Parts: sequence; C-alpha cells; structure tokens
Amino acid sequence: MEDLTLTLKQQIIEALNLEEISPEDIDNDAPLFGDGLGLDSIDALEIIVILDRYYGIKLENPAEGKSIFKSINTIADYIAKNRTK
Amino acid sequence: MIEILATNIVSPLGLTTEENYRAVRAGRSALEPLCDWRGIPNKFTASIFNKEQVRAIKVEGFTHFESSVIRSIQEALLHCDIDVTSPRTALILSTTKANVDALDPKSEEYGEYLSPGATAKKIAAHFGMVSEPIVVCNACISGVTAQILANRLLSAGTYDVAIVCGADSVTPFVVSGFLSFKTLSPMECKPFDIERLGLNLGDGAATIIFGKGNSASNRWQIVDGQLSNDAYHTSTPSPVGEGTVEALKRVLDRVDVEDIGVICVHGTATMFNDQMESKAIERSGLSDIPLSALKGYYGHTLGASGVLETILAMRALDDGVVLPVRGFSEIGVSGRVNISNQEVACNKKSLLKIISGFGSCNGVLLYAKGAQNRTSNSNTCEVVCTDSIHITPESVEVNGESIATTSTGAALLKELYKRYIGDYTKFYKMDALSRLAILASSILLQRESEADRSKTHDIILFNNSSSIIADLNHLKTISDSDNFYPSPSIFLHTLPNIATGEIAIHNSFKGETSLYILNEKCEEVMNTIATVSLLASSNEKLITGWVDCCDDDTFDAEIKILTKK
Repeated sequence: MEDLTLTLKQQIIEALNLEEISPEDIDNDAPLFGDGLGLDSIDALEIIVILDRYYGIKLENPAEGKSIFKSINTIADYIAKNRTK
Repeated sequence: MIEILATNIVSPLGLTTEENYRAVRAGRSALEPLCDWRGIPNKFTASIFNKEQVRAIKVEGFTHFESSVIRSIQEALLHCDIDVTSPRTALILSTTKANVDALDPKSEEYGEYLSPGATAKKIAAHFGMVSEPIVVCNACISGVTAQILANRLLSAGTYDVAIVCGADSVTPFVVSGFLSFKTLSPMECKPFDIERLGLNLGDGAATIIFGKGNSASNRWQIVDGQLSNDAYHTSTPSPVGEGTVEALKRVLDRVDVEDIGVICVHGTATMFNDQMESKAIERSGLSDIPLSALKGYYGHTLGASGVLETILAMRALDDGVVLPVRGFSEIGVSGRVNISNQEVACNKKSLLKIISGFGSCNGVLLYAKGAQNRTSNSNTCEVVCTDSIHITPESVEVNGESIATTSTGAALLKELYKRYIGDYTKFYKMDALSRLAILASSILLQRESEADRSKTHDIILFNNSSSIIADLNHLKTISDSDNFYPSPSIFLHTLPNIATGEIAIHNSFKGETSLYILNEKCEEVMNTIATVSLLASSNEKLITGWVDCCDDDTFDAEIKILTKK
C-alpha cells in the first residue's frame, strides 16, 4: 500500500504539474481539494485519466469522484479494490 | 445602424439558410450515433457531413474546413450586392480549431495544415478580398464575439461591410477533448432537461454579412453587444452566471424587455451550462421570454454556433414562431425559464442571444428590426498607452527600458515568475502561452497604482500561432487508440483564449476577454480593434497586444495598457 500511495503521488504531481511539491509534502490523509492541495474540477478530471491509464479503472461520471478523491489514502483504497491492471 | 444584409448556413441539414430552416421546422435533426468513428474508442452522437455532402462542399485546392467556409460565404454573397474586393470590406472568421485536422497524422488531410490566420488569408484571396482578415478564437463564444467586433468596426467607420463566417469541423481532436471533460452525451442531447447527459458536437459553417443601414430599414439590426468574463474558472462557468448577468445588464440598459421575442441560449445540455444560463436569465428578470435552444438539431457547432443559431432563431421570428426545443421534456434547471418542445407563436421582432465558453467568457447580443443601434462612435475620449512591455526569449523591456535577467527561453519565464509573481502555483499548470500572458500582464499591472490596478481591465490579445504547442501535445495523447488518454488540461489550452481568461481570473477582472488571430503582427489592425473595443466598453482600461508562442522556447509578447483619457 505504501508503494501504491507513493506511486500515486508521483503520478498526480506529474499529471497536474505540481512543480513545487514533492511526494513527502502530501499527507496521505489530507484533503486534496479545497483547502489541502487546492486542486479543482479540472484536476479531478486529470485524476480520472490517471485511474484509467495506470490502473484500468473507468470512472465515467465525474460526480462519483467526490468521495473517492478525498485524500491520497481514499484514492489508493479505491485503486486497490478496483484495479484491473 | 449596422444591419444584416444576407445569411447562409452550411450544415448536414442543408446548404442554405432556407434549407436549414425548413429542415428544423419539419423537426429534422442531423444528430446520429457514431461508433468506431475515426479511431475514437467511445460511442458518441454528433451531427456530421456524410461523404456525399463532403464531396458536394469540396472546393478544389482547399481543405474540408476551408471549403465549408467558402461555400457558406459564396452562397451568402448571392443574396446581397457588395464589393468584396474593396479594402473597406472585412472578413472576420470565427473558429475554435479551424484546420486542426490537418495536423493529425491519421487524417486524410494531414500535411495541409495552415495556421488559422493563414487559412483566413487563403480564403480571403479566393474571393479577391484585400483587407487583412481577422480570426476570432474566443472558444464557444467566438461567433458572438465576431459579430460584436463587426458591429464596432462598422459603427466606427473602419469598414463598410463585414463578412462574418463561423465554422468548425467535428474531428478526433475535438471529440477526444470533450470526452476528456466527460461532457459528451452518448445519446442525443437534451437541453435544459432533467435527464441531460451532456453535449453533442456538430459540423457547420454559417455566414452573416453586415452592412450599414438606416432606421427605415426592415432588416435585422444589431442594437448592442457586450462581453464579460466570470473571472471564475477556465473550464467551469460561474454557477450564478456572473458574466452573463453583467453583460445582460449593460446590453439591456434602456431596453424594454417586453419587446424581446426570444432568448437564443447556448443550451449545450451540459449540467453546468444550462443550469448557469437559467440562473442568469432569472437574475436578469427575463424568465418569461421563450427560449430558443437548437443543439438538439445540430449539436454544438463550436465557432459556428453563435452565428448559425442566431440566424435560425431570427428566421423563425420572421415567420412569427419560436422553434421547438428538441430533446427537452422535463425541466432540469433551478432558474425559472420559459421553455417548450413545441413551436410557440411570437410576433415580436427583437432577439437576445446569450452564450458562454471556456476561458470564463460570456457574450450577449441584442438584435431588432428597425432598431436604434446604441454603439456609440461619437465617443470623443482619447485612448493613450500608459505602460508597455516586450518579452522575447532573450530579453525583457518595460516602457522601452531593458530589465536584467539571467536565463533565456522557457527558463526565462520561470525566472520572471519567481521574481514578479511567486505565489500563484497555478502558473505551473499553464501552457507557455498562458504563462507568457500572465507574466507580461502582471509585470505591467504592478506598475499601476493600487487604485488603477483594482479597476476592471478589458483584455484583448492577438497572435499568429494560436495554441500550436497545446495542439501538438493534445494530438500526442490521442495518436494511438490502444493508448488513448486525452488530458483535459492539455485540451483546455488548445483554446488560445484561455490565456485571456487566466489574466481575468488572476486579477478578478470581469470585463471583456477576446483573442484574435492574425496572419502577421499587424500593428494597424491590432490598434484599430483595441481602440474601437475600448471606446465601446464601459471600462476605462484595456490590456492588449501580441502574445505568441510557437514552441516552449520561442515566444514574443508585446503588450500594453491602454487607458481612456
């Protein structure tokens, strides 16, 4: 799981161009949207691309993302349970 | 008074305005489900030209996109008597992606790519036009922006006639981009409906030829047009329709809304757009006016939509009707609107067009028959340049004075960011064009007094390369159907007007934002557009100039702040 959260953080940092942020800066339980990392709706769509591209998870309805994208840990949990690759 | 001399629509429903109007009156839609279409892995629904239509439209020596523009203009010219070869006749081309299909290695037209400015020049030359063509690239509101520009240029006397043509093609480029935004409906779209699932895309070209008229004329005339940015988010509209409400307020000042027969809405059938429009309509006290929403017949024709849908709604009013909203059955928005899937009788001769697009931009146009055009060209105030900046890969000059820097190319932009902004990490998410625009404007604004800086500045930028860096990056993400992962943020930046939206958002400027593409850096055209726009604006200040990037290390930003005195 630790490997997965680290990989996920690296993928998010790369896809979202979070230039001044390193994986250690992101707390696994901290909120990603709003306060925390300050991600927005287009970032959520980029995370949907990450799920599809690296883990074979298709999320067609962005609204489903709301509960899944709370934190790195919630995304990693979702990936562990649903990944097809 | 600026009036409509002639119109044309070229779409899968017909090659003239009348053919299109008759088809829509008969309830026909061009939308069809598509599967395995040109390497796109998802099923979607769109309105596209069939092979016979493509052949019928084809003009030898021109791409499909160019041919559709030429056919549309050619047919419109049959209905009016103007001198296209006069230097006082303007060509204004409204398009989001023009010839982009020719950049795609999988396209039959691969290799025939011309930038939008060069494309417009080639089309102008075909008609023997000599004035410098102007391309409006303002995302979904391009068609309305182009007409507002035509109104200003004609009212100011710069030209006598303006040919406004809006056109775009359904391509894997745009389909994949909208797929990445999860906004494409697999089924026929349902504007304003509770079960709406998103939009459909559509092929189309539409032309309006504008000329000068008088109050005795029985033609449609532009009363006024305004643009306003939400300054909210580059890909999500303000939930309460902030910019649309603001633009409506300015256009409807001194107008009796009782006279308005129809509101021709954007009605894309996405969750956000229709909801936002309903709020803007309610907030502006327009809830009782019937809506015309035509995406159920044509899909979203992008650069054509602001022209095409206006022509049809107008043509219907000429016959005393508002066209049925195809696809609508049960209201699914919270703002109160007057919408019907049945034809509605209407004998009023005034039409309101509203439209919104990526980059947080919104546009409003009011037309009427025998109207009083309100665009004031008797504005006697002077426009002066208060500050200017020039950034190249090797140098930075502010008001003619060189600034010492240590890096060049893309690294220079990061250096400037750290020195002049530093705390806006969104900068790193932007493409080179937006980075350049944000930097140049921020450095200029820092030279203004606190009081001046807090005033809303309009933003009008020009370039030649459009969004070529983002265009090529986006194509890379869709080149392989087994590795098809279009990125929404890359696609967003394939709309060059995002750069203007980024400036508006960064500074909370809720004024006009527009992006124009020219075939070359022509100071005269840029200054004319900037001046007529600022004089027609309620704002005092305008950030304007050239912002062009052809690759991450090759760029040119030369912008200034113009102020009314």
